[in-house]
Amino acid sequence: MKHLNRAELVDFIEASPLLPAGRARHVSTCNQCRAEADALRSMRALATTDEVPEPSPLFWDHFSARVADAVREEEPGRDRGAAAAMRWRRSPFATWAAAATMAVLVMMTVVWRTTLHAPAPAMGPAMSGAAAGTATFAPDAAAAGDESDVEADEAWAVVRAAAQDLRWEEAHAAGLSAHPGAAEGLALELTADERSELARLLDKELKHTGV
Amino acid sequence: MGRPDWKVSVTRDRTDAARAAAPDLDAGTSVDDRTLVDACRGGRRDAFDVLVQRHQRQVYQLCYRFVANHEDASDLAQDVFIRAYRGLHTFKGNSAFSTWLYRVCVNVCLNRVGSRGPRLVGLDIADRPDPRVEHSDTLLLRGERAAEVRAAIARLPAKQRAALILRVYHELPHEAIAEIVGSSVGAVKANFFHALANLRKLLRPQS
Repeated sequence: MKHLNRAELVDFIEASPLLPAGRARHVSTCNQCRAEADALRSMRALATTDEVPEPSPLFWDHFSARVADAVREEEPGRDRGAAAAMRWRRSPFATWAAAATMAVLVMMTVVWRTTLHAPAPAMGPAMSGAAAGTATFAPDAAAAGDESDVEADEAWAVVRAAAQDLRWEEAHAAGLSAHPGAAEGLALELTADERSELARLLDKELKHTGV
Repeated sequence: MGRPDWKVSVTRDRTDAARAAAPDLDAGTSVDDRTLVDACRGGRRDAFDVLVQRHQRQVYQLCYRFVANHEDASDLAQDVFIRAYRGLHTFKGNSAFSTWLYRVCVNVCLNRVGSRGPRLVGLDIADRPDPRVEHSDTLLLRGERAAEVRAAIARLPAKQRAALILRVYHELPHEAIAEIVGSSVGAVKANFFHALANLRKLLRPQS
């Protein structure tokens, strides 16, 4: 009959009911398994004799008070990483960064919406290149081609107000930066009409700010 | 036939959640661990104090088995409870709180022992039995033997040591140990077997 494997030997020395009776009977007829089981049993008994010394009775009160003090300084139910994340979220820098991110997102959304839904400017001679897919910007023609005023656009006013205090140096320091070529990439995805509308809006805004 | 002009409102003075959040901690042992954990999550830190008082002895003893001295065991046990408090939100309740706490404890102990190595000291003052009770030679031999066993256990690989300590000294079933150390029951039994076999090799010259 096969010798007992490691798990069976453990079950045997612990008199586990999980060990089938036939396997347990094998030990009584097998010197090798019996010797191994005896050795394991004696080691187990030897280990059991080593007891942890009982600390002073005063220790337990002192210990629980120590733990209670340490726990009082902890945020409940949060690990250190989560607590650090919370601290970061509460910092003024993080608040500013979040506000700047929101402003940029709102700006991008409104520009996108405006270019999609605003009426396309009349195609004057200066914009003839746009029809061919090569947006040629002519400020005078664009301004003359559309009478709608950017100033009247409420969404644009919201964007301008949100971005009014935005300084690009601070935005860059906060980690807000565009990848090189991102603007060009975005412009290439616009249709000719969208590009001309974007050009018109930018032109209006540049004139407004006196740049 | 018109609708009756009734206004029905149902009020409950204390929901189950509120009851969990405010258990009667004076009841001591009558409040189970799970209720205390819920209360603690609900902001009652005194509930955690009860959990500490309830489990501190087992945690300390387990830590002591890994580091074999009172000072380190005390520091480790404190660390275990702080980590448990921080990680209470990860306790899902699928196992007993004590099993979960043992898991935290074993992880903390293995990390500490793994990074520092066991600090083996001879015997604590408290290890020395009262000389008025037994003959000094017998005591000395017993004390020396205990120190040898402890030193041999400290030299076992981490998983074998954890299996031996949890099985022999804390008398946990193999299934619970498997849950604590995150392995199968078969692996735990194999580790326990190897732990005893290695202990035999380490202690052979004196046996």
